[in-house]
Amino acid sequence: MNTPNELRPGEKIFSILLVLFSGFLFFESYKISQFKSLVTSGAMPMFASTLMFVSSIFILINTFSKNKTLKQNSFQVIKYLFPLRFILFVLLIFLYTFVIQYLGFLLASGIFLFISVWSLWEKGPLPAILISLSSIATIYLLFRIVFKVILPIGTFFQ
Amino acid sequence: MENIIYFTIAWLDPYLMMLVAAGTFAGIYVGAIPGLSVTMTVSILISFTFKWDVNDALALIAGIYVGGVYGGGRTAILLNIPGAPSAIATAFDGYPLAKKGLAGEAIGLTTVMSVIGGLIGVITLAIAAPIISDFAIKFTSREYMLLGIIGIFLIGTLSGEGFAKGAFAGTIGVMIGMIGLDPMTAQARFTYGSINLMGGVPYVVAMIGFFGVTEALVQLDKIKMPYIKQKISKIIPNWSDIKRYFKLVIKSSGLGTLIGALPGTGGDIAALIAYDQAKRSTKNPEVPFGSGAKEGIIAPETANNAAVGGAFIPMLTLGIPGDAVTAIIIGALYIHGLKPGPLLLTETPHLFWFIVGNLTLANLFLLIFGLSGVRIFTKIVECPKAILIPLIIILSGVGAYAIQNNPIHIAWAMVFGVIGYMLKKYGFSVAPIILGVILGPMIDSNYRRAMMGANENVSQFLIDLITNPISLVLVCFLSLMFISQIPLVKNYRKQKFK
Repeated sequence: MNTPNELRPGEKIFSILLVLFSGFLFFESYKISQFKSLVTSGAMPMFASTLMFVSSIFILINTFSKNKTLKQNSFQVIKYLFPLRFILFVLLIFLYTFVIQYLGFLLASGIFLFISVWSLWEKGPLPAILISLSSIATIYLLFRIVFKVILPIGTFFQ
Repeated sequence: MENIIYFTIAWLDPYLMMLVAAGTFAGIYVGAIPGLSVTMTVSILISFTFKWDVNDALALIAGIYVGGVYGGGRTAILLNIPGAPSAIATAFDGYPLAKKGLAGEAIGLTTVMSVIGGLIGVITLAIAAPIISDFAIKFTSREYMLLGIIGIFLIGTLSGEGFAKGAFAGTIGVMIGMIGLDPMTAQARFTYGSINLMGGVPYVVAMIGFFGVTEALVQLDKIKMPYIKQKISKIIPNWSDIKRYFKLVIKSSGLGTLIGALPGTGGDIAALIAYDQAKRSTKNPEVPFGSGAKEGIIAPETANNAAVGGAFIPMLTLGIPGDAVTAIIIGALYIHGLKPGPLLLTETPHLFWFIVGNLTLANLFLLIFGLSGVRIFTKIVECPKAILIPLIIILSGVGAYAIQNNPIHIAWAMVFGVIGYMLKKYGFSVAPIILGVILGPMIDSNYRRAMMGANENVSQFLIDLITNPISLVLVCFLSLMFISQIPLVKNYRKQKFK
């Protein structure tokens, strides 16, 4: 666990990216209605992005004045920010959000749940199948039948 | 007389009563699971109520909120893992008590005291809200703009690692709130030609992403953390204990309600401050604080439940959320066609008294569910995270989709979740983002109205800010908040504290 005074892996790069990002947002806000008036659509985005930019400068200064306790390389940064389990799980999430519009809620969620539980729980495929089926059935009954919530419908399957 | 009728609507209707009970029950059990905070629970569950009748939705929401704030304390005592941020202080003394074999007694005591705290918070809401509402009618666009800014920065100063990170997170929220067509001029902002972005980012999609998905991703790091079980003894607390700590309960409830009522603060801050106050004011505790002092569990648990009633005060009277949960509830009220603010009490008093009635009822259900089912509770809380995390993702997806039946919102919620995860990794809090999303458009419209009122003259605008007494008070409060963050002032306060 890092204390606020310890430098986290990749924190310096992250704080630089925040400055660049807020600068980009200021430029985008300026493009909305420039400095034409104080009450245009772009006025509040410009105020907010200016404040964002100032805050990011303070964050940058604070980050660069922190104690560097560990020697950091790019591998440690990736390991800290994006561990393999995280990368694979996020990829699976985005695959799920993509296929749900084709396969529909029941099939896409069932497959997503099975793969996730199987890989994360490490108890074998059979418990993963049982948990996936029972969970999806419960969610469907509770939300579709009881709460009358419309669940995502697929192009190929309902 | 009419108000009493409105107050008892949920008490007399079995269906509404069942919804309050179900909400409280779900709140206790879901809010207690480490990693599932009350904010996340409310943000996911609330999205399923948008097609419901407004009364049904409000009954369920009140139950979830009251139950969820309490639920976190149970896991703090039993497992030394606070189920929610508002239960962090409870773990300091709750877990040492559990290790001594007094887990049941600790749970019983915190349940009764939480209910007393919750009821005091609700009574304060019932008394203070009409008074504040009458006063708030005098507020102009200027004051609303200032209140919105205070709300975002107050939560920024009190969460995460420092003011700069809080302010940055708050402005991210404001920028998200700006996406879409400008409601005043219909000019597109940050839409990049996308039709999906023209309508803006729905509040609840951002909330589900930043709270639901982010917390699920953060829990991936803690997937193999083992739970340490504790023995459960008797649960019903001694009458002598209740009498003995009653003064502390009243004090902590007052503190909790007051802190909860400040825009931007909530149960987590109320609990920590109440714990600190109890530590300072208890001269001779039976057991030192940190080793199982009963005062150490009573003060935070009472304060966080009292903060619920407090948080509703600015939300219902000013339209400013008291904390992250009320920010979500305010979003839901807008979707149900209601407009929280000073006119809510005069135009729809039935709604106000109905909410007060629901919160009172939820506290009574809390007493029933809090003093029962502790053994089953430990089994549910031990549900493996490997199952829980994918389920949260699915529920988040369903919740995001349910708002407008648009599959793109599922993807947005997931993207917000990944952004929130990265920000959390570097010490940012996501709560200011949510307040920014809600308050950003409000600040925008009120700023422009105030500026137009000053004929777009900056000096006139600034003079108006300091010549109007209400604006002046708010400007002073905002200035003090900024001054308190100057390193020189912070160092002076630290030295004085030492």
